[in-house]
Amino acid sequence: MVQEISCGGDEMDRRDFLRQVAKWTAGTLLASPIFNITPELLAAERPFPRVAIGTGNEITTLVERVLAPLGGMKTFVNPGNRVVVKPNIGWDRSPEQAADTHPEVVKAVVALALAAGAKEVLVFDNTCNEERRCYHQSGIKPALAGMKNVRCDYIDKRKFVPVDISKGKSIHNWLFYRDALEADCYINVPIAKHHSLARLTIGLKNIMGVIGGHRGEIHQNIGQNLADLNTVIRPALTIVDATRILLRNGPQGGSLRDVKVLNTILASADIVAADAVATTLFGLNPTDIPATRAAAAMGLGEMNLARIEQIRV
Amino acid sequence: MKYRPTTRTFRKLSQLLFLILFFVLFRKTDYSGSDTLPYAVNLFFRWDPLVAATVTLAARKVILLLLPSLFVILLTVVMGRVFCGWVCPMGTLLDLLDKGIHPPGNPSVRLRKMKYLVLIVLLVSSLFSLQLIGFLDPFSLLVRGAAFSIDPMFNWLTTGFFDTIYSHAPAFADRVTEPVYSVLKNGLLPFRQSFYFLSTLSLMILIAIGAMEKLGKRFWCRNLCPLGALLALFSRWSFFRRIPTASCRNCPQCAPNCRMNAFDPDNGKLHHEECNLCMDCVDDCLNQSPRFAFTRRNNHVPVDLGRRAFVGSALAGMALPVAAKVGAISRVPHPLLLRPPGVKNETDFLSLCVRCGECMKACIENALQPCFFESGYQGMFSPRLVPRLGYCEFNCTLCGQVCPTGAIPKLLLPAKQKAIIGIAVFDVNRCLPYANGIPCMVCEEHCPTSKKAILFRDKTVMNRKGEELVVKQPYVVEELCIGCGICENKCPLPGASAIRVLTASKGTSGYSDGYG
Repeated sequence: MVQEISCGGDEMDRRDFLRQVAKWTAGTLLASPIFNITPELLAAERPFPRVAIGTGNEITTLVERVLAPLGGMKTFVNPGNRVVVKPNIGWDRSPEQAADTHPEVVKAVVALALAAGAKEVLVFDNTCNEERRCYHQSGIKPALAGMKNVRCDYIDKRKFVPVDISKGKSIHNWLFYRDALEADCYINVPIAKHHSLARLTIGLKNIMGVIGGHRGEIHQNIGQNLADLNTVIRPALTIVDATRILLRNGPQGGSLRDVKVLNTILASADIVAADAVATTLFGLNPTDIPATRAAAAMGLGEMNLARIEQIRV
Repeated sequence: MKYRPTTRTFRKLSQLLFLILFFVLFRKTDYSGSDTLPYAVNLFFRWDPLVAATVTLAARKVILLLLPSLFVILLTVVMGRVFCGWVCPMGTLLDLLDKGIHPPGNPSVRLRKMKYLVLIVLLVSSLFSLQLIGFLDPFSLLVRGAAFSIDPMFNWLTTGFFDTIYSHAPAFADRVTEPVYSVLKNGLLPFRQSFYFLSTLSLMILIAIGAMEKLGKRFWCRNLCPLGALLALFSRWSFFRRIPTASCRNCPQCAPNCRMNAFDPDNGKLHHEECNLCMDCVDDCLNQSPRFAFTRRNNHVPVDLGRRAFVGSALAGMALPVAAKVGAISRVPHPLLLRPPGVKNETDFLSLCVRCGECMKACIENALQPCFFESGYQGMFSPRLVPRLGYCEFNCTLCGQVCPTGAIPKLLLPAKQKAIIGIAVFDVNRCLPYANGIPCMVCEEHCPTSKKAILFRDKTVMNRKGEELVVKQPYVVEELCIGCGICENKCPLPGASAIRVLTASKGTSGYSDGYG
């Protein structure tokens, strides 16, 4: 199997790419910028569908182990990069209640990114409950306290900018968080859990935390809408926290009866493949999940388990 | 003569320190990263004897939270109205205001007794369980004015300035302004912009109190403040007094300049209960050098309210509660009048609540809002939950923690999570899965009870195009709903929510079976 993860362009030449980036940057300087991300720019990245799965009690080493088959963190983070680590901090719940990404997973990913030479790591989420409560109760802000070059700031509403979703089938414009758009390397660190409408919320749904606007409207055609949003921000890496998963009463749970401890973490450069494999932890098929289906249909990744290379570590 | 700081200097220092304390506590009345507040942010209400007196009378029980008020009474019994002159932040702000307003000297002393009449009305009506202190307690007025208008206005202007630079000025300007902004955000500014009903009214009350200074120094304190009146009563026995007990004949110094106008205009005698020990007369004396000392000397000048005024105000204090009782509002409560978590009985709540605004300041979702006429004039400024503005955060117990009188009970988290505020009811004429056959589950997703109080039924419906399809239709499980209002808050419909929290269930404060 050839490593195709890091190398990008097959269709687009460098000049075209630079022109896109220049336009894109010019957009950020306007008072109310419109980001225009064309399909060509998006088609540039179609990562190899390889998913690493690991089980273990020691979270820090487990994260490192599952990244090894993908080439380690240095495959994704280059020295001097501004890295965004995007966990799910959506709910005012404690770590064992399995509504937010485990703080130790977040901390391990951040530490690896720094070790790989990241200049700065930003950790944030547009929360559903009150943000200070979520950041603290999830354990994520306390876990990152004192780490150098790490910012775990609350969402700054001024940083939401409208983005044209040219590839979108259902939504064509939405507010995105500037720090997420401008990241050199975007690492998606969702938790896998039940969701009453989307069936499950894993990697693709985690994008809800970097968008603004009336997020409730997304739910009216949730599968396609999530796929559309995911054409704008393509994580370099998706690390699924399944150390414990929420089986019922998602997405916020609240009762330990609904939590199952799996001590498992998955990682992939292919967000759709990561979601597809994580789906099997719940005894479901990837095709059961509307967002996974829609994203695969748009070419954002591979959901066919037979075509996904699964590596157990 | 060698330099010595004047006595006044100590008084000013004390005023400044207590003013700072007031604002620090105000700022700390907020979530701090831990579930329990580490400070007694409601200190000013807990040592307020007027709060203690009216609440004890109205609720007919001793509230331990208010024990610090005994300390203020003791202080007054020993030292006189030193609280008014050295501590009260309202008085300090008025003193500061005087530097710009220049009040006229020698104002009338005729209005002095008004504050006693006000106090009598408040005390008598609280004896009959009508709590009106919120209209006149200086700290209630101050905290509400600060919380509902001044602080949000300050934040609005400051963030507006920095936001404008952030979004319109060139990037190099940001490099200067953003660090300043983040320093401000970490200390001086509130965490977020909040919005309150009655913001203008709350500000106007403070402006009115300030404007009265144009009629004379400390007009509010001398003539209207019921706390000042109460402390004046206790100061009758105090033995820390000015010597001599009268102003000197023919001397134009202390009597005309006294900020409390405490000297009798006829005989120059000091009305001791009016003196707030500001020490101006000590420092400014031209000849005899008065001093304050512990003395047994009695210079008591009787306060003559007049029998008619006394009886009249007592009767008014009795009439008001009865008038409120026969108001229809007690029979048909407002269907949207949601009280904070743990409040069970509307009447008890209103007799305990002193409208201090602490709960509304502390509410992290900006959900608690002051009432206008929803519970009659007697409920004005009392807190109610307005879910479309903000919901009751499931894991938060701050309002009960900051309430100085226990009107909102201080509940532990498990009890608070079971406290019923109201009950959510769907408007199926608007709710998307019912009205339009469009899937939506935002209310269910946010419902915080661990066994969700909103569930789905699969239903075959026709959408607007006439196509048949199966949608999940949400419904409320009444036994599980606590009325936190997050569903109403997050409903994605524009304008009114398709799910609303009503006071329709037994066990909520607004419930009444007295009609129909």
